[in-house]
Amino acid sequence: MLDQPKLETLLWAFGTIVFIFIGSILVAQIARAVARGFRLSPAEQLKVYWGFLFASPWIIGFVIFVVGPSLASLYYSFTDYKLGKDINWVGLDNYRSLINAEGRDGRNFNRAMFNSLYYAIVGVPLQIFAALSMALILNTTVRGVRLFRLIFYMPVILAGGPAILLAWRYMLADNGGFVNLTLGNLAESFFLFNWLYRGFIFLVEGFNGFFIGLTNGNPTGPLTFFLPAFVAFLIIISLIRGEWGDNKREIARRAIEMIGFLVGGLLVAAGLMAEPIDISWTFIWSLMVLAGWAINTHKGHATRAQLWQWLGLGLLIVGFILTLITPVPEGVEDATLGYLTAIAFASLPILFTLVQKIDHRVFLVFGALLVGIILIRVAPHQLLNGKADVLLRYMTFQSAVVQPDNLDYLNTEYIASYMDAAWLFFILIATLLGVILTKSAKLRQYTLIGATVFFGVVMINSAIDGVTYFRAYDHIAQAEGGSNFHFARFNAATSTVPDMSSNPKWLTNDLWVKPSLILINMWSAGAGMLIFLAALKGVPGSLYEAAEVDGANRVQRFFRITLPMISPAMFYNVVIGMIGALQTFEAVYILRNNDTETSVMSAAYYLFQRTFLQANIGEGSAISWLLAVIIVALTVMQFRYSNWVHYE
Amino acid sequence: MSTATSVHVTESNEAIPVNNPRFGIFKRSYSMAGFGKFMIYVALISASAFFLFPLVWMTGTSLKTVEEVGQRQLNLFPEVAQWGNYTKMLNDPAFQLAYGNSVFVVIIVLLGTVTSICLVGYAFSRLEWRGRNIVFTMMMATLMLPAQATLVPQYVLFHQLRWVPGFNPIAIPGFFAGGAALVFLLRQFMATLPKDLDEAAMIDGANPLQIWWYVIMPLSRPAVATITVFLFVGQWNNLFMPLIYLKDASLTTMPVYVAGKYNLQESPIPWQNIMTASVLFVIPVMIVFILTQRYFTEGIALTGTKG
Repeated sequence: MLDQPKLETLLWAFGTIVFIFIGSILVAQIARAVARGFRLSPAEQLKVYWGFLFASPWIIGFVIFVVGPSLASLYYSFTDYKLGKDINWVGLDNYRSLINAEGRDGRNFNRAMFNSLYYAIVGVPLQIFAALSMALILNTTVRGVRLFRLIFYMPVILAGGPAILLAWRYMLADNGGFVNLTLGNLAESFFLFNWLYRGFIFLVEGFNGFFIGLTNGNPTGPLTFFLPAFVAFLIIISLIRGEWGDNKREIARRAIEMIGFLVGGLLVAAGLMAEPIDISWTFIWSLMVLAGWAINTHKGHATRAQLWQWLGLGLLIVGFILTLITPVPEGVEDATLGYLTAIAFASLPILFTLVQKIDHRVFLVFGALLVGIILIRVAPHQLLNGKADVLLRYMTFQSAVVQPDNLDYLNTEYIASYMDAAWLFFILIATLLGVILTKSAKLRQYTLIGATVFFGVVMINSAIDGVTYFRAYDHIAQAEGGSNFHFARFNAATSTVPDMSSNPKWLTNDLWVKPSLILINMWSAGAGMLIFLAALKGVPGSLYEAAEVDGANRVQRFFRITLPMISPAMFYNVVIGMIGALQTFEAVYILRNNDTETSVMSAAYYLFQRTFLQANIGEGSAISWLLAVIIVALTVMQFRYSNWVHYE
Repeated sequence: MSTATSVHVTESNEAIPVNNPRFGIFKRSYSMAGFGKFMIYVALISASAFFLFPLVWMTGTSLKTVEEVGQRQLNLFPEVAQWGNYTKMLNDPAFQLAYGNSVFVVIIVLLGTVTSICLVGYAFSRLEWRGRNIVFTMMMATLMLPAQATLVPQYVLFHQLRWVPGFNPIAIPGFFAGGAALVFLLRQFMATLPKDLDEAAMIDGANPLQIWWYVIMPLSRPAVATITVFLFVGQWNNLFMPLIYLKDASLTTMPVYVAGKYNLQESPIPWQNIMTASVLFVIPVMIVFILTQRYFTEGIALTGTKG
């Protein structure tokens, strides 16, 4: 019955028990000795002894399986360690090659990260929507609710395993798969259903085509302007609406802080790469720190402002050191000096704020710095390369895409390198600061109107650019006779509106694999449902009664009472869902095809593929650290911006 | 919220007629008008069909012949049920081996993990000791730490211990109270038990070990059952760890076996065999789930609402 490996494991298990037993007593004794050292009373010492005795299985495991490996992996991530080979220190090469997408499958890491983000940003809300709908239907007192709850939850326990995923794979087959046959038959029979079905297909293909185009690199140029301009526009509009008060200040301050997080992270990443980081980003970061100081001292929260200052300075110092110690990779222009200059510039305002003898005149200094930096930026380097032309075009709101036929022109970094998103953020922050610090109401109004017009124009301009740009890409793709560019696929999906013949190619097409995975996740959203159900049961009925007396209708009651009351459950589901989305593995492993692998793989799957199939420990450690940092950063940000959650 | 609290109606709960249909789907103690109830049932039953369907489809396919599987058709069940698919599968030595391995791993993991979690959960909920908050905070912090951060170096560690390939990397870490979320769940449950129990036992001269075993553990059975089911389902379904650590053919567990049944090289794909293995794979999980569903569903609510 028991063969060799099993016997071995049994022996090890027995040994482990003995080990934990002895280890626990040792830990407890040490703890008691320490307690004695602190001169606790004998009764307290005994309590410490028993406490550590019971807790030490976890403590020992924590040291062996978490602390030790974490430290080891931090070390490995700076080496080229492969199992069975020597360890060589390679510095930041692993990180650099991952982020810079070097090597044969180089872009796959970026793709995997983008896919994971897709699951988090598109999939998790849909999952939560499904879970909440289920919970709302189940929160009734019809007969048999418990049975239905059981059925609704059942997919959760199955979806973690390969069996049901294979069943889904079978059902989602393109030709003759159950789902497509059923949908096709329904579409043939009912006109209205057909119409909705085609609309659905069009929507999914259009959206995913666009997304795939983004993740494959090139056609992102216009979007780097459109998105920041759009965000800025939203923030400014939200400031214009409503009454002036602390609320507005709060929105402006939060916006600055949020951008501060992003820019700070970007700076450290840039320091890691020792890339010629754009000077404007460091400049924005320092401005943000200064803003934090100005606003918080205004409100009397000096300690937090200091925290920001030290954080900012710390980040810059990290970037400084990393820039110095990291060797410049071959074939890359040495930009260390430029980077150091940028950091030095950025440190100045932070140092000003640390001295704390600063008034609003510092913004004059900023103005001077800004002019200086524009001069450094544009001349002579950019002018010599003939790129100032594009910058001028952009600043005067003309289309920057002048030669749509020229592939080289498009493949150079587009205008992104001439007027980049940092400048938009810079203008946004300057506006927000103006709003916060200006005492004159009229000036504030002018600032806001001016900013609205500016960002509106940038938005429209980059949207027009985007269309030109996509057309150019399509043009080139056709000229080259292939669909190398995913935008050709995007165009194919959108040009035949709506495609009346084909069914969704769930698992064989890049456009459909991610939606398939999300469909299965929605099918197994029962865990979230149980948490919503528990929260719904906790909403006191008296609230609804009171609201009804006040004349609130059903929709109002849902949005004004139910949603705020269950917001802690919502928050929990969002956090857990996001973490889960970044770690998706089983579904990817079962649902992938050779040709759709890059479109469906998650970060966890990429880690598996690169590390465990190729035993490449050094690179794997770098991947896991990047992934860990992203997950923790996302979680921290969610906690930071969780003011929509109402606790009782 | 502010409007609701300002009215001060919290006391008027009994005053509302129980059969008032106006409270719609939000009120628990009411009976609905006929049409609303009908619509709820329609929603419930159609949703149930969606949730149950893959399972039904899996079972139906497992009873089909190769020819039936190859056809484009919508029949859920075959004309003649091919029970032979199952006897063939059950007699397959590779299947027996994988099943045996799975059962073995699950038993070892459950024994080690449940026992250690019960000990640790007790320390964090019933005992009061200096340093408890620090250690507990550290444990909760590991919840934030994604598994990926330690996966690679753990692999190196196990490799250096010469545990790869073998069951040890999957079975042994569990003995160290693996899974902070489950410790937390048990702690939440144990914290709700009345404090007097410990004190009474203490006065009778019991030491913490005895209190744990004779007082707390018998009362914590529902929570322990929940944890056991969570662990069982998680371990039974686990595909990632066996893929890394059990690369030897003689060590294959069921998830890898089932996943390996699907092979793109084969044509036509023998879906009836894959689904037969899948059904046999799913059966233990379904049985455990149905037997313990009461604990299970409440346990999850415990993690969410108190967290």
